[in-house]
Amino acid sequence: MTSTENDRLLLNAYVDGELDPAHALEFEQRIAADPALAAEQARIEALRRVIAQRLPRETASPELRRRISAMVGQSAQPRAARWSAGWRADWGRMAASVAVAFVVGSAATYMAVGPRDQQPVVRDLIASHMRSLMASQPFDVASSDRHTVKPWFNGKLPQSPRVVDLTAQGFALAGGRIDVIGLTPAPTLVYRHRLHLISLTALPAAEAAATPRRAIDGYNVVEWTDGPLVYWAVSDLATPELDDFAKAFRNGEAEP
Amino acid sequence: MDREDSKTRFTNVVTPHLDDAYGLARWVTGNRADAEDVVQEACLRALRGIAGFTGGNARAWVLTIVRNAAYDWMRKNRSRTVVHVDDLEAVERMQMPDDAATAGDNPETALIARADEAKLETAIADLPTVFRETLVLRDVQGLDYREIATITGVPIGTVMSRLARARGRLVATLGADT
Repeated sequence: MTSTENDRLLLNAYVDGELDPAHALEFEQRIAADPALAAEQARIEALRRVIAQRLPRETASPELRRRISAMVGQSAQPRAARWSAGWRADWGRMAASVAVAFVVGSAATYMAVGPRDQQPVVRDLIASHMRSLMASQPFDVASSDRHTVKPWFNGKLPQSPRVVDLTAQGFALAGGRIDVIGLTPAPTLVYRHRLHLISLTALPAAEAAATPRRAIDGYNVVEWTDGPLVYWAVSDLATPELDDFAKAFRNGEAEP
Repeated sequence: MDREDSKTRFTNVVTPHLDDAYGLARWVTGNRADAEDVVQEACLRALRGIAGFTGGNARAWVLTIVRNAAYDWMRKNRSRTVVHVDDLEAVERMQMPDDAATAGDNPETALIARADEAKLETAIADLPTVFRETLVLRDVQGLDYREIATITGVPIGTVMSRLARARGRLVATLGADT
């Protein structure tokens, strides 16, 4: 049995998670019934694995970075960018991934955030997100187990965040960290989407009218209110996917 | 937007993606020294055009500029090696062996899995440029089809066919028992 041109394209899209659920299901059934397709799938997956594992990541050399900084003008370097020099290799890997940062906390934990204060909050959230992409790892506790992540916060903050398992929706928990928003430490959860990282932020809900969606310097910010908290998602993920994540998180069941 | 603003925006929008920029330039041009020149040129263009970046996907925006700079660089320095894409894809369609998907050849999968760094690098470097950049954007840099379509300026269907062909070639090269 030979697969057609079209099947080959669909198979690749299937392996890449680019088919919508209905087509993915249909194609899965075809693979199950067609050993040729299954063999081709195995080869493509083997190829993707070997590239991911053995091909070294390319990183811009310190000399190139220096030249570009000189060209742009060193004075404009923000703090986070200056820190990056020592972290370059890992940052390269992280920069290649998409991240959504969510900081999750309780009303009791945080300073009230009024409407006029929102812009600095958004800036802090984006700064934390950028900083996490530049650091050697985007979280302080690495675990896919929410029963590990949640207690980690317990020792550090008055209240640990709501941690939702979204593995089934394609957003695997990667870990957690503490960001400082304003002058207040806030717990942050980091999720992974496909090869990509995801980080999201929640602070006490003020009476602030939510401005649901915006893009700042290439990072998308989505916010929503849930009871006493307002959740902020900061990401360079496309907004439809970010919205999916937000929806999944809202509908997700927290641990007992 | 004044110069100070431009610098700050450049640092926020472009700097986080320098490694990806360099990676793409390295794979498109085929060598690291040329990639540095391309990235520097791309950064200059990005700095000039930063006011035109209205938000959205910063990485895709940066990589689009890098890709254009890389192609301009190649046209200038290696005009003879730039292959016309339409011809290439027509040829590729004819050459794609149907038996590439024959069932039961698991030894091929095992051979692919054993490919070492040098073999991988050579196999990827040997791909035609448009196939190589599509593969690198997807399998090395992890972009989705829509982003790759934006960066390379082609419809998603073309991204799909280029990716399938790039992988088909790599599978054939790495899976061959040599």
